[in-house]
Formats: sequence, C-alpha cells, structure tokens
Amino acid sequence: MTRLAWRSMWSHKLRTILTMFAILLGVAMITGTFVITDQMDQGFKTIFDKSAQGTDVVITAKSAFTANYYGPSGTLPASLLDLVKAVPGVGEVAPVVYGSGAVVINGKPVATGGAPTLVYSVTPQRFSQIQYISGAMPAQSGAVAINAKLAGDKHLKLGDTIGLTTEQGLQNVTIVGVFNWADSASVGGATIVQTTLGDAQRWYNQVGRYTSISVAATPGVSADALAARIKAALPTDVTVKTAQQSAADSSKQVSQGFIKVLKLVLLPFGGVAVLVGAFIIFNAFSITVAQRLREFAMLRSLGASRRQVLLSVLGEALALGVVASLLGIGAGIGIAKGINSLFKAVGADIPTSGIVLASRTTIVALSVGIGVALVSSLAPALRATRVPPVAALQEGAALPATIIGRYSRWIAAGVAALGIASLVYGMIGPGTTTVRLSEMGLGVVLLFVAVAMVAKYVVRPLARAIGWPMAWVAGTSGRLARDNAGRNPSRTAATAAALMVGLAVVVFVAVFAQGFKSSFVGAIDRSLNAQFVITAQNQVPIPAAALAAVRFAPGVSDASSITVAPAKISGRSGTASAIGIDPTAFAQMWRFHWLKGGSDALLGRLAGTNVLVEEQAAIKYGLSPGATFTMMASTGQTAKFTVIGEYRDPTLLTGFVMAQPTYDSFLPMSQHDPTLIIAKAIQGDTAQVKASIIGALKAFPTAEVRTKSEYSDYLKKSINQFLLMLYALLAVSVVISIFGIVNTLVLSIYERTREIGMLRAIGTTRRQLRRIVRYESVITSIIGGVLGIVLGVFFAWIVTTRLGAQGITFAVPFGQLVIFLVLAAVVGVLAAVVPARRAARIDILAAIHYE
Amino acid sequence: MTEITANCTLTPPPGTDAENAVVMARELSKRYGEGDTAVDALRGVDVDIMRGKLTAVMGPSGSGKSTMMHILAGLDRPTGGTVTVDGIEITALKERALTMLRREKIGFIFQTFNLLPMLSAAENVELPLAIAGRRAEGEWLRSLIDDVGLSDRTTHRPAELSGGQQQRVAIARALVTKPAVLFADEPTGNLDSKTGEEVLGLLRRSVSDYGQTIVMVTHDAHAAAIADRIVFLKDGEIVFDCGSMARDDIYDVIKSLESSR
Repeated sequence: MTRLAWRSMWSHKLRTILTMFAILLGVAMITGTFVITDQMDQGFKTIFDKSAQGTDVVITAKSAFTANYYGPSGTLPASLLDLVKAVPGVGEVAPVVYGSGAVVINGKPVATGGAPTLVYSVTPQRFSQIQYISGAMPAQSGAVAINAKLAGDKHLKLGDTIGLTTEQGLQNVTIVGVFNWADSASVGGATIVQTTLGDAQRWYNQVGRYTSISVAATPGVSADALAARIKAALPTDVTVKTAQQSAADSSKQVSQGFIKVLKLVLLPFGGVAVLVGAFIIFNAFSITVAQRLREFAMLRSLGASRRQVLLSVLGEALALGVVASLLGIGAGIGIAKGINSLFKAVGADIPTSGIVLASRTTIVALSVGIGVALVSSLAPALRATRVPPVAALQEGAALPATIIGRYSRWIAAGVAALGIASLVYGMIGPGTTTVRLSEMGLGVVLLFVAVAMVAKYVVRPLARAIGWPMAWVAGTSGRLARDNAGRNPSRTAATAAALMVGLAVVVFVAVFAQGFKSSFVGAIDRSLNAQFVITAQNQVPIPAAALAAVRFAPGVSDASSITVAPAKISGRSGTASAIGIDPTAFAQMWRFHWLKGGSDALLGRLAGTNVLVEEQAAIKYGLSPGATFTMMASTGQTAKFTVIGEYRDPTLLTGFVMAQPTYDSFLPMSQHDPTLIIAKAIQGDTAQVKASIIGALKAFPTAEVRTKSEYSDYLKKSINQFLLMLYALLAVSVVISIFGIVNTLVLSIYERTREIGMLRAIGTTRRQLRRIVRYESVITSIIGGVLGIVLGVFFAWIVTTRLGAQGITFAVPFGQLVIFLVLAAVVGVLAAVVPARRAARIDILAAIHYE
Repeated sequence: MTEITANCTLTPPPGTDAENAVVMARELSKRYGEGDTAVDALRGVDVDIMRGKLTAVMGPSGSGKSTMMHILAGLDRPTGGTVTVDGIEITALKERALTMLRREKIGFIFQTFNLLPMLSAAENVELPLAIAGRRAEGEWLRSLIDDVGLSDRTTHRPAELSGGQQQRVAIARALVTKPAVLFADEPTGNLDSKTGEEVLGLLRRSVSDYGQTIVMVTHDAHAAAIADRIVFLKDGEIVFDCGSMARDDIYDVIKSLESSR
C-alpha cells in the first residue's frame, strides 16, 4: 500500500508538485525565521563573548531593569577606581566610558542603516579586542581611531579630520588609528570610534565618572572569587559580575528582547502561509479522492480494508508532507542565505559562525509540514473509506454523503461560535500577551474554517453575479465559465478559501493601518501648535544642548522638548514612560486633550512631585487624579508622585508627564536627552525659519528638522513602509493560493476531458476553451477576494472597536479594497495560464473515447 | 421452446448437492426504496453455485442479475435471506469480516477492467496479495502470467496495453489468490469479438484445467455459450436453470423472456 501511495504521487506529478508548494513555502518561511533569528542570536553571543575575553570582572552602575541594549543607564563615580585597585587579587584595572556618536563627513552623518554608532574610550590592550591595522591608539585629546570598515567605505586615512556628534555638539577629530574588532572590519554595520578617556568623559557628560570598570585578576585568582571580593569592597549601588556572566546576561537580553520580537512578528506570516496550504491540501485530496472513487472501490472489492484505504490516502499525504517539508527547510536556509548576502551587500553583516540549523528548527518545520499534510487530508481520506466496493461495478457512482457533510451548516455555526468566543476571550480575557494572541489567532483560524465550510452556499449566487458581465461580454464562453464555477460549489468554495485567508489578513492589515494613520497622525495634527518638529536619525535622542540652539535660532519664538525614559510603577510589571516637559514653554505649543475636568491651569501646578497621566496609563495602573504612587527609575532610584490631572494622547505623551527639573533629578544623566524638540516661529516665512533652525543645529548633524506637515507625512510614510514589508510577507500566502487554484482547475479539466472533447467536436475553438477556463478561474478568485475582504474588514472592525479607547478608529480604505479585488482577479488570470493551455490541448478523438 | 428448455430441468434443485456448492443463496430478496415507490429487485431466489463449474447468469436488464451477483459476492446486503460462501454465512458478517472474505475467497473481473493506471501489469496482478500483505510465490505468478499470455508485457502500464490484454491482466489478478469463487461482470462487454473470444477461452480454461469456480453475469449469448450452466432471471426470480446450451438456443430463451414482459 505504501508503494501505491508513492506511485500515485509519481504518476500525478503536476498535482503533487502544486500541492507540495502549498506546504513548502510556509515551512520555508518558518525555517527562515528560525535560522535568521538563531543566527542573530549566535552573532550577538559571539560579539559579547569576544568582548569579555581578557577581562575577569566588570563593574557597572546597578540597573533596576534594562533601559536599552547598548550599555548600562547609570554611571560610576571615578572614586570607585581606587577602592577596586585596593582589593587583593586585582591585577590590571581599566575604566571605560561609552557614548553614542555619529561620524560626520562634510556635514553629513554617516548612515548606518539603524546599526548603532558606538564610541568607546581607550583601554589597555588586554581588555580590548581592537587590533590596529594602521596608526595607533589615540593618546591626545581630539585624536580618534576608527573601525576599518568605516575607513574603507568612506576612504578615510590617518591624519584626516572628521566630525563626531557628542553631547557637547559636533567635535572635529583627527584619525590616528584604524582597527579591526576581533578580526572583523565591521560589527553588524555599526560605526566604532575610539577616543581618549578624557575626551569621552567630557563629550558624553561623564566628567569624574565612568560607564564601567574592567578588572583583570592576578594569576591564581579565579574570576568568581575576585568578583565576590570586589563586591564586598564596594557600595551596594554597583553591579559586580564576572566578565563571562556579564556577556551571558547581555546575550540573553538581546535574545529575549528584539530578536524575540522579530521572531514573534515573522512567525505568524509563516502560520498564515501554512493555513493557506492546509486549505489547498484539503481541496486537492478531496478532489482526487472523488476522482479515484472507482479505484478505491476496486481495491475494496479485492479485499482491501477501510483501514488500508485510509492509510493509502494518508500515506500519500505523509510522503508529500515529508518531501515538501524537507524541501521547505532547504528553501528556508536559502532564504536566510539570501538575506545574509543582502546584509553583507549593505555592509550590515554580523559576525556569524555560518548558518545555524538548530534541531528545534528541523523539528518544528517537519512537524508543521507533516502535521498540516496529515490533518488536512484526514477528512478526504475518511471519505475514501466510505466508498462501497460495489461502486467498482456501477457507472457514475458518487461518494456517499458523510455525517459531516449532512450537518455541515450546524458544524460550521458551532465552529464559528467557538472562533468568535476564542477571539473575544483573547481580547478581553486574562493571561499574558502571548497567550492572548494565541487565543485570538485560534479564533481567527476557526472563523476561517467556518466561513470556508459555509462558503459553498454563496458560491452559486456570487458566481452568477461575478459571471454576469462575462456572459454579457463573451456569450456562451462566459456562461459556461460561470456554470462551471457553480458546478461543484464545495470545490470552488474550498479553492476560493485559500485565497480568502491570505487576502483577509492583507485587508485586516490595510484597514487597521488606515485607522492607525488617521488617529495617530491626526492626534499630532490636532495637538501640535508649533510649526517645527526636530527629531534625530535612527530614533536616538538628540543631545540636550540642541534645545538651546533651536531656541536661540533667528525667527524662533520659543522651543520646547519632550524627554522620555522607561520607569516602573511599584508593584506592577512592565515599564511605563516617564516624560519630562517644560510646563510653561510646552503649554504654548501643545493643546492638551484634558479629561475629567482638567484644564491648562494644571500645567501651572506641574512641579515637584506632581504628575499628569495619560488615559491609557491611568486605566492600566488604576491611577486617577488625586492618587499617589511610587515610580522607579532604571537606576533603582524611587520617588513618590501625585497625579493631578488626566489627558488623552495616543501618540507622543503616552505615560506620566512631569516637570523637566523633576525629571532631571529623578532619572539618570544618560536619559536626559530629548527624543523630540518642537519649535514655534515668531512669524513670517516658514521655509526661512526652517533654514535658520537647520543652521543653528550645525553642531548636531543628526538632528532632522521638519515642518508640522512634513512631520505628519514622515510618520505616514514610516507606517506605509512598514505596511509594504507586511504586504511582501503576505504575498507568499497569496502566491500559495495561486497554486491552489491552478491545482483545482487542472483536476477539474481532467475530470471534464470528455466534455471538453465534445465542446471541441461541436466547434468550440481553442481560444474559446482557454477563455472558459480563465473566466472560471477569475470567478473563483474573485469569490475568494470578496470573502477575504468581508472577513478582513470584520476582523479589523472587532479589533479596532476593542482598541477604540486607545485612539485607533475604524476607517475603511475603500480605494485600497478595490485594488485588492482587482489583485484577486489578476491572481485568477495568472492561475488560469497553465490549466487553460492544458484544456486547449486536449485531443478531440482521445477525449471522446476517454473512459 | 419446450425442446430448448428441456435440459433446464436436468439441474438438480438447490440443496441436493450441498457438498459441492461453493455459494448457496436461500430466500434471497432485495427491495430498493420504501412504500409505494419500492422496487423488488430480487424476490426469493434460491440458488447453489457448484464447485469447478462456470455458471452464467443472464436476463433482460432490470431482471436482478447484477443485484444477485453483488449480493452473492458480498458487495451488497440482501433485504432478506441468506448467502453462504465456502461454508461461511456472509449475510451475518460484519464489515471487517466481509473484507477478509473478499480478500481470501472471492475474485472479481470487471467490465471496465479497473486496473490501476500507475502500476505495471505484473504489479496489478500482484495487487490483491499486496493488499493482504502476502508475497506472491514466484512460480505461481510466472505460470499465471504465462497462462494469460502476458509474459512479454509484465512491465507495461495499462495504458500501453490493448483492451484484451488489460482484461487478461484483470483475470490474472482475480486468479492470483486462488479464490473459492470468481465473479465476472460482463467480462467481454468492452471488448471486440476477437479479443472477447480470447478472454472467454481463458475463463473456460481456468475452469477446465484448474477447477476454478466462476460466476459470470452477461447478456452476450456468445459468452454464455461457454458456460456449464446458465441461470436465467426475470423480474427478480429465476425462471430457467439450465445446463450448457448452444448460442442459438440461448438467443431463443432470451427473446422469449424479453417478449413476454
């Protein structure tokens, strides 16, 4: 029976290949995601491990929680250095200062494509992985060394002068050295600048302080023992770790941080592709089981048991699943390799130990691929077992109706109810985000299945409506196409369902993004009462000194800033935002949307421990005006605050707003840089004032100046870019559904060979025949499109209604929906190419004699 | 008419030679539908199929001959009555046991051959054994394929064989398990007269040389003429049960059956 399954696959190569693709692409996406993120994990681990070489113990300021990935948020007093040196067993000691500073060439900051712009003070050779290829370590103020990749890309050589952005504005520095970091010219596309300790301290607000202290033990003293001794000798507000531990912690932070987020963002797209594949496999097997009815009956009459029939169908599914999954894993590795070379091409390659195919990846990919193949072929396989042996002797025997078939309406209603329940429970129920997202995901999947089950009832009316213009334009060809589409409603419905799934997600994303755009960008439009918005490249903060520069630029009446840092509310998990503003200046440029009877008068009282709370934070933490609570900064410092007012702002000020002096004393120096500066012009030509601000910010080349309308456009554009990425990922699912339509058409044409021969015999031209197939395909794909759009809008409606309180409105982008429908029709045309050609090639005589 | 049907009384009545009956049907009835629209396809048929004989079943369409064969072969269940195959009462068997019975005791030949297109001729012949999880004895398989005259076609696919060759593969497939009884449903219905002749010769030989029991449903007098016994049905009842007959005599009986409706 196994051989039978193999032979059956082999003799229907096209069907097998098309069905395999349905599994292959989804598995490839899942594999690719795992391989890429594992590789990044590995890459970062290598970086951190290498940094730890030569160092035994690392001392940093204590962090209560992680504020960013690049380094500790607090700094150490320089006086600690002597305390450390006095500990027995301490050999060499090196203080280090880190900063973030872009390299500026000809007034333009060097773009890193989002990679960090690192600045380190020099350390003795044993603590650093820096190998100078030319020149030497900077020894004098104003001298720097840069990494080889930066020097190579920008044709920089020893003696050249470049700019470096610092907290004290732009500094002109001279290159005295070029180095590799741990044998690589580049670390993930980051720029690395090495300065003297004194320069780093002055430029990055750490005079009399260090970011960290690296310690090497004297021979015979273990790192663990030394760490314990140092810990005992130092005050409790510092963290002492062995270098190994520190590297492991950093790797873990990155891996639990953005790499995990990346995984969680990418995997669902693989999931959608797999779901689409499931529909296609179900359909392919349903059709072939119906076509092989006689074959099964004959096997049964030869003594094959129901079990054997079941196993022969499932065996075929298993073989298909195994082969397709293995190919999918290969394709996933291919995708990862492609992305690697892409990164390499743009210079953002991370040091990797090659492709990492973890056994977890293989297991997940294989079980998803094989599982989907088996689960979605189970129903057709069970149906095959119901074929009575006597069907082998009867002409035109049909599959007996199954119980599921008879009660499909009720089962569909049950599945739909379960789906909605799961969706709603996921939205309002308890549990972590991951649990709730999975509940919502399950709900969506169940709804898809339910809709696919009942879709057969709307296929005929929809086919009639969609086919009407075709019948009108193309006469009989159109009518035949329409009738063919409505001929086997279950089959058409299942085929359309595959496209429905992909398109529903696309539409959901589009509708959701539309609401997001109109509410978030709209909120800025409404609140901002200033003409200019200044931000920094790569979403990093702007040096605090830039505010004064903007304020005193000619034509500017006043400027104000927003400073944001993460903070914890005591007794609660997760982080909230602490936001610093200057109440008087800010009030003139910002219209607060006050709630609970608040007014601008509250800004007059915004001082000391008084704070304002944004509506969402108020709900989340249960803090209304009048409430008192304790907040903790990332340094571990805590303070008591009183809520004096509440406002709504879904975009910028999402957290707790306090007066700038309160903010500055509560949060560490490293978090004092504003994320955004807004400025108001006295009057006159906006373009001129903008030029004047740009001029005033010469010392801060990373600052980007935009007018209010430019800023909303910029936000919209960022959202659109993100959307394009999502669409690209979803395109895979749509492509899979094309394979599904091709498969159904090919199988249907095979079934209708005789009929097609007859049509040709009575004078149908090949061209007409192709048209009939093409129209049927388009009708099917538009049915899928219509169902997908309806479902997608429905999902977006549910989610936005739920999120309405957070400011996202439900807005339907009708223009885009029309585009999606056209896209669905294009899918139909593309899918028809091969089947139409096959139909047109059928030999008339052979077809009529075809048994 | 009387002379023609004279030898029909020579067949002993059912039950007289139970020892040599491979299949025994008693009081067999089959009713399709319910109430006013009910159709009785079989009305109390008693018949014994004798070992080592070729029994032809004939009758006008709607006479119940196909229904009778389906029930005798365990493919369909009667509304009333019993069927025993090789000593086992199949009308009482559950689905699983019926499957086993088909596997071991019954062979089929279909009008439309029903070969699997993706398997070679030899593989099609071996299929019943493969289904049963048994291996073919090489000797037996070779002689069987030799007998049906396909030794030079073993690796061919059905699509590469003529209709007659396909049916010969089907016959080999039916014989490979050495079934207690082989049912053939219009085996020459899809063949021209020459290849039909070959197939009939093959069936006849397997009865004469190996003692195979065969029940053949046919409306072709030419085919029925090779039978040792011909059972005529009409309106769900056996009207004649005759010994071997000449072709022309068979025509006459059929004509009389069709005209007397």
